[in-house]
Amino acid sequence: MAKYVYNQEAVENLKLSDTAILDRLIDFESARAAHLHKEHGKKDKRMSIKEAIATFVQDGDIITDGGFSYVRTPHQAFHEIIRQGKKGLQMIGAPNTNQSFQIVYGTVGYSHNSYVGVEMRGIDKSYDRMLKAGRVKIISEWSHGGVALGFKAAQLGTPGVFSKQMLGSDIIRYNPYLKVMQNPLKDEPDPVVFIPALYPDVSIIHCHVADKYGNAYIYGPAVNDLAVAAAARKLIITAEEIVPESDIRYNRQGQIIPFFYADAVVEMPFGAVPGNMPGCYYWSRQWWEKLIRYGGVSDEQMKQVLDEWILGTKDQFEFVDKLGGSKWISEARRQTKAAEGDNEDIDFSYEEYTLKHDSGLYY
Amino acid sequence: MQDLNTPANPLETLAYIIAQQIHDHSIVYIGTGIPMVAGILAKKTHAPNITIVYESGGQDPIQGDMPWSVGCPFTWRKSPTVMEMSYSFAQCYNGYVDIGFLGFAQVDMYGNVNTHMIGKDFHKPKVRMTGSGGNNDLSSLTENMVLVGLQTPDKFPEKVDFITSVGHLTGGNSRQEAGLLGNGPTAVISPWGVYDFHPVSKRMRVKSLTPGVTFELVQQLTGFEILKPDGEIPQTQLITPEALKILRTEVDPRGVFTTMPTA
Repeated sequence: MAKYVYNQEAVENLKLSDTAILDRLIDFESARAAHLHKEHGKKDKRMSIKEAIATFVQDGDIITDGGFSYVRTPHQAFHEIIRQGKKGLQMIGAPNTNQSFQIVYGTVGYSHNSYVGVEMRGIDKSYDRMLKAGRVKIISEWSHGGVALGFKAAQLGTPGVFSKQMLGSDIIRYNPYLKVMQNPLKDEPDPVVFIPALYPDVSIIHCHVADKYGNAYIYGPAVNDLAVAAAARKLIITAEEIVPESDIRYNRQGQIIPFFYADAVVEMPFGAVPGNMPGCYYWSRQWWEKLIRYGGVSDEQMKQVLDEWILGTKDQFEFVDKLGGSKWISEARRQTKAAEGDNEDIDFSYEEYTLKHDSGLYY
Repeated sequence: MQDLNTPANPLETLAYIIAQQIHDHSIVYIGTGIPMVAGILAKKTHAPNITIVYESGGQDPIQGDMPWSVGCPFTWRKSPTVMEMSYSFAQCYNGYVDIGFLGFAQVDMYGNVNTHMIGKDFHKPKVRMTGSGGNNDLSSLTENMVLVGLQTPDKFPEKVDFITSVGHLTGGNSRQEAGLLGNGPTAVISPWGVYDFHPVSKRMRVKSLTPGVTFELVQQLTGFEILKPDGEIPQTQLITPEALKILRTEVDPRGVFTTMPTA
């Protein structure tokens, strides 16, 4: 029996037989209780990624996609979720492009869909196939701004926010969490959308540095991660580097996630590989092109590529070795600095991966 | 580096036409693809003082290579500030953005946009596409929207298969009555024509046509009755040799978004 009175039209349009599956995302009371029961003391929370995923990600949890698709996303932690064979997770994010690779393994079975695609390369054919085959079920449709406001509402400490986004669109007809209401302070009609505060079960946020307590620093676009960190019932911080607390206090003013949100702190250099980590390394364009183009052809080919790279490696170090090791590292570092205007411009042309041409190079 | 002597291709033509919608000193919100090329082209030609903003939160980046994602370093390269996503869309709500540019898979006679699915059954679509991303947010909140895409009767249907983003909804005042902000779409741009919307009915209308293209041809490429303006239909201003040179040498030298796809 569901706890909430959902948007009934959307429940029917989405053919949701039991709306209880929707509850936890907006269950403020249980999120607050989880936050109260966290370790509030300043304790050393360091552990391995294996232990963090085994301890804090349970089957059926609502997890978040982080960063922005290929930028500062915790890809390597997501790989560990796949390696451990978690099942039936819900995924939310703006965007939530990376759920697609989890669906291949059945780790994610439910989608709070905002955007799943490959931007300049268009639609994600693999997602299209798996959705139609029933391997994933969309349980709510969102705009990016809608998800962003839901997370932000949680961070602000409010039951929800009113918005002008999504009014009149079919998104509202496919989102059980949204209701159109009248602005209470206006006489004339003034429709607004109520977006509830969103509380995912577990978030993994990849940061530049963190101390052992979980104070964590992000450079570049935070996207939704500062809000998500405050909202999540369980938070795993992965960081390129663990540093002393004094480094955070004296050198890292700006975008900081406070330690008391964090449940686990994992030192994880190259945690965003094969994506881009601002200031650290560029993405591997060829890797993504191969995944999208070769894997886009069929479910078998998609699984073949992912098996090779995810199940065929035990951690991010083996993954980086496969990309080209120290040669890849130095190229990726040089390129990301140039991309950010921090050294002389370099030529960004490269050998594209196509179905007819595979250079075998990932940098 | 691209060959400077070949005539402009349809994508380069499109980029130039979009760029002409941008006025100097304005704040311009840009999505992935051809709008990126157009924004940078405008900045390097007739509108050097515009501020380009992106969904990543990047504000006024210094130009580098073509962005490959709206989150990538080229959208926030040496930006004075990078906003969180919720604040980035709030700029549109609060009236700081003059014009936004978006792509579409389908656009209908009232400028409603679909990027969700092709087909009538949500659970078994012919093709599932990306979903909204920031498309709905910009369309709902931005003062003026320009929609950009290819034109066939399937891409310009009478009704879109899924309303991802409201344009003029069902025409007349229906956009305002639904509670949305701004003027909605003010232009739709395809390689064959530039379209606007009738001020009262809000139905799509031809504004200008690419040289060599007739009204009859664009009507055949449109899945609904498209309105004809009074009088002679003007020709769309094509890309000048100077602008084409800048586009090929400084804006998109590797043709990331302006090379025609090959089979």
